[in-house]
Amino acid sequence: MAETQPVSGQTPAQQRAGWVTGTLVLFCLASTIVTVIAGLVQVSFGEYSMTFLEAWRAVFNPNVIFNINTWSAFLFGTELPEMSTASIVVWELRLPRVFVGVITGSTLAVSGAIFQAVTRNELASPFVLGVSSGAGFAVLATLIVFSGLASILPLIATLGGAVAFILVYTIAWKGGTNPVRLVLAGVIVNMVFQSLQQGLFFFADDLGVVQTAVAWLTGSLTGTGWDEVKIAILPAILSCAIAIGGARQLNVLMLGERTARSLGMRVERTRFLLSVVAILAASAAIAVAGIVSFFGLVVPHIVRNTVGGDYRRLILGCLFAGPALMVVADVGARLALSGTQLPVGVVTGLVGGPYFLYLMRKQQSMGEL
Amino acid sequence: MARTQDHEREQDRITDEDGVAIDSALVGENLELSYPTSEEPIVDCARLDIPEEAVTALVGPNGSGKSTLLKALSNHLEPETGTVRIHGDDLDSFSQKALARELGVLSQENNSLGSISVEDLVYHGRYPHRGFFDSVSETDREAVERALELAGIEHLRNAELGQLSGGQKQLAWIAMVLAQDTDVLLLDEPTTFLDVHHQFRVLETIRQLNEEKGVTVAVILHDISQAARFADYLIAMRDGELYDWGPPEEIVTEQLLADVFGVEATVRYDPELQVLPKRALPDR
Repeated sequence: MAETQPVSGQTPAQQRAGWVTGTLVLFCLASTIVTVIAGLVQVSFGEYSMTFLEAWRAVFNPNVIFNINTWSAFLFGTELPEMSTASIVVWELRLPRVFVGVITGSTLAVSGAIFQAVTRNELASPFVLGVSSGAGFAVLATLIVFSGLASILPLIATLGGAVAFILVYTIAWKGGTNPVRLVLAGVIVNMVFQSLQQGLFFFADDLGVVQTAVAWLTGSLTGTGWDEVKIAILPAILSCAIAIGGARQLNVLMLGERTARSLGMRVERTRFLLSVVAILAASAAIAVAGIVSFFGLVVPHIVRNTVGGDYRRLILGCLFAGPALMVVADVGARLALSGTQLPVGVVTGLVGGPYFLYLMRKQQSMGEL
Repeated sequence: MARTQDHEREQDRITDEDGVAIDSALVGENLELSYPTSEEPIVDCARLDIPEEAVTALVGPNGSGKSTLLKALSNHLEPETGTVRIHGDDLDSFSQKALARELGVLSQENNSLGSISVEDLVYHGRYPHRGFFDSVSETDREAVERALELAGIEHLRNAELGQLSGGQKQLAWIAMVLAQDTDVLLLDEPTTFLDVHHQFRVLETIRQLNEEKGVTVAVILHDISQAARFADYLIAMRDGELYDWGPPEEIVTEQLLADVFGVEATVRYDPELQVLPKRALPDR
């Protein structure tokens, strides 16, 4: 069979660019603006307060942005060249936290979107499918029992998430899988891992460890910096790029299992590979921010309601909306109560839960996509 | 395509009016089909032919194994025993994508995909022709245009699937399968639940495709009178077995209707074949 042929005149990409709608462009633009504003708020306020203008100047300080030395200091830990206090506060302390918010926001949203297509279930998310609780358990066990391994916590979180998901997939597998079985298996694995987590708390003797562990389990960006950016950036870029590339596969999966098969897709293999991408994305976020509840579930819904169910649009929308919502939520978590910082997961849970309930009430049916 | 000598072995191979033998696009042999949940085979059939460049209708009552048989023919169900060959080659010798370039399947799966446009749906039919990173080629575009035209839904190309009537939806799905550009097409009850107008639209599309492009079609039809008028060949199924097969004029009899469907009916052959079901027979 002839594969694609070179085309004369107009390129097909131009003719078929119809999926980029005005709504999508507006949505992404608005999300970007929200992200930037929230980011500026985040870098302006705190112990060392400055005006918007000062913060703006510090962020877009050409001496920092166009200086190779500063970037190598941030990313590779070389010596930091001399800078003003404002620049140091912004670039060393506050901005990296915004970047971590951007990374976790986009990866969690993309991960949720992929899981929802793979299981063809609106209620799917890294949390429902066991990835979060598996990662959480691994982290807790490390902190409480194997405290010597704390330096490779992100890796352990990924491993825990992957093991839990494989467990879910294996339980659900019976000559193939289906959405309902996957979610049921996820619920069971979740319960088991949560019981294990609660059991582990009895072995913790240090209150500090318990607090760290709780911050992990609720999801928190407190104290994140360039180290976290370094950990998460590569898996995040990789998984997001594959997600964009795989959007057509996701669309075909949405046509239904038999149709996808008839069209020549190896459904189980595609599902599994896409799940791996989603686990990678979720783990990148979990490794640096812990388990941010509701995020992977709600964001794809918000995007779907706005730009439609086409995964080419949905993934792109998630890549913009995820960061916007995460950074805004983190502003709330950091600045809402003076004197203390909330974990960002508390904010997303408090806002996301009711929003999801609202969606459920508004929509006639919920569940299968 | 080389024909294997298996065809010669066959005792009662189909012939047309002039007694000339007809080649089969799809052949199933010694098929025993069952699902993991069932003990006994659901379908048991020694030989099944889908004649080349003709429209074959599978008919039979509910639960007679038509859909199961179609699943095996489309490689969605691995037979317990037996083989299915397309143009002489075993289905298993194809990769999934290569098979999808030979064989188009429209299953009964009806998903409530709300927000996808008809055109986007039809473009999915090009999936087996595109690599992972390939963008849309001119060939793809032409195939989609042809499919939309053949199904008569060019004016609906930008409509969202969720907004369409059941009949229009079905035509959109059929256009998707047509865009696949295959020589053989299997359709599972494409007319069920449609109003009469759209039933005819679907059947006329199939007929046109067969006459203009020589596409081989196997289609499950619910309505025996419709099938008798429409198809070149009928395959009548009962309890997982082939009851009879051949051109409708030869095999549709009052006896067949009683045996297979459990109805008393009048069959008229003049001026054209007509089946008039009258009443249900007492349980067999």
